Amino acid sequence: MRKLQYVFMVLAALCFAVPVFAQSGSAAIDMAPVGVGLGMGLAAGLCGLGQGRAVGSTTEALARNPGTRAGLLMFMVIGLAFIESLTLFTFAMIIIKVK
Amino acid sequence: MTEPLFTTRLINYLFGGIAAAILRALGFHPANSALPINESFALEMVVALGLILFFLIVRLTLSVEKPNPVQQIAEMIHEFSSTQAEQVIGHGYQRFQPFVTCVFLFILLNNFMGLFPRVITPTSQPVVPLGIAALTFIYYNFHGVRVHGPFGYLKQFAGPVWWMSPLMFLIEVISHLARMMSLTIRLYANMLASDLLVLIGFSFLPVAFPVLPLALHFFVSIIQAYVFMLLSMIYLSLAVSHEH
Repeated sequence: MRKLQYVFMVLAALCFAVPVFAQSGSAAIDMAPVGVGLGMGLAAGLCGLGQGRAVGSTTEALARNPGTRAGLLMFMVIGLAFIESLTLFTFAMIIIKVK
Repeated sequence: MTEPLFTTRLINYLFGGIAAAILRALGFHPANSALPINESFALEMVVALGLILFFLIVRLTLSVEKPNPVQQIAEMIHEFSSTQAEQVIGHGYQRFQPFVTCVFLFILLNNFMGLFPRVITPTSQPVVPLGIAALTFIYYNFHGVRVHGPFGYLKQFAGPVWWMSPLMFLIEVISHLARMMSLTIRLYANMLASDLLVLIGFSFLPVAFPVLPLALHFFVSIIQAYVFMLLSMIYLSLAVSHEH
């Protein structure tokens, strides 16, 4: 069983390696889409976590004390803008760097 | 390159010669010699003219007994911006309210331009938000210098601890310049992303479905204009505030 596992692992590695061998003669592989996906995915996911925390605590505070609505809303919007601007910096870098 | 819009052609017909002459005098060459004023700048001019017309109509038809609908809208805008400015800037906000209101309305209408089919959003070109952000930067620094005096304003940068002041001064200068960059990129990247989303919506299913990305564009436009106004008010209040 252990041997069969090794065989399958090697086969899986080779399966990914084949396209690399096939293109070794021609031009370099364009890795930009991979980088864009990874970078944007990380940025968007972490931004989502941060914004979720911000909105979650704002809603909690609103539920406890509905009188503070106006002030809280303003602070939440500013905070969300700052958090999401970090993702947008990533987006702008991608737009500038990847043509 | 698609056919230029009617407004672009009209504004180039009216002002193209002057703009090209000014650019040549400064040593620049317009990218498109047939249309020296590009699409986003022409749209900006349309928005600015529309705003001036709106304010003129409001001013000319001002009445206490019988307020007409235009005046009602203007009063709503005034109410909104004055409550926001009073919350953020506090005492003496009236002086800065015209600027932030104009910034808000200008960005809002520029963002809404993208809702029309075949019209690009002017704010999705990086130069347009950069212009507004640079203006905001100059404006709040000017008022900081006016309130505290040139030396007093620079002393704010140095911080309270004297032996840290060279470092703090550098950090503060960089952070003030980064404000301009972040204002620019926030607006530009948001509008570009929502423009791209609308494009994806249209290529995905051109019937009825693009309403969703267009609605998103609408909300993003309002929120980004609001955020830009709010941040310029915060920067103003930080620049003119007195330490107690």
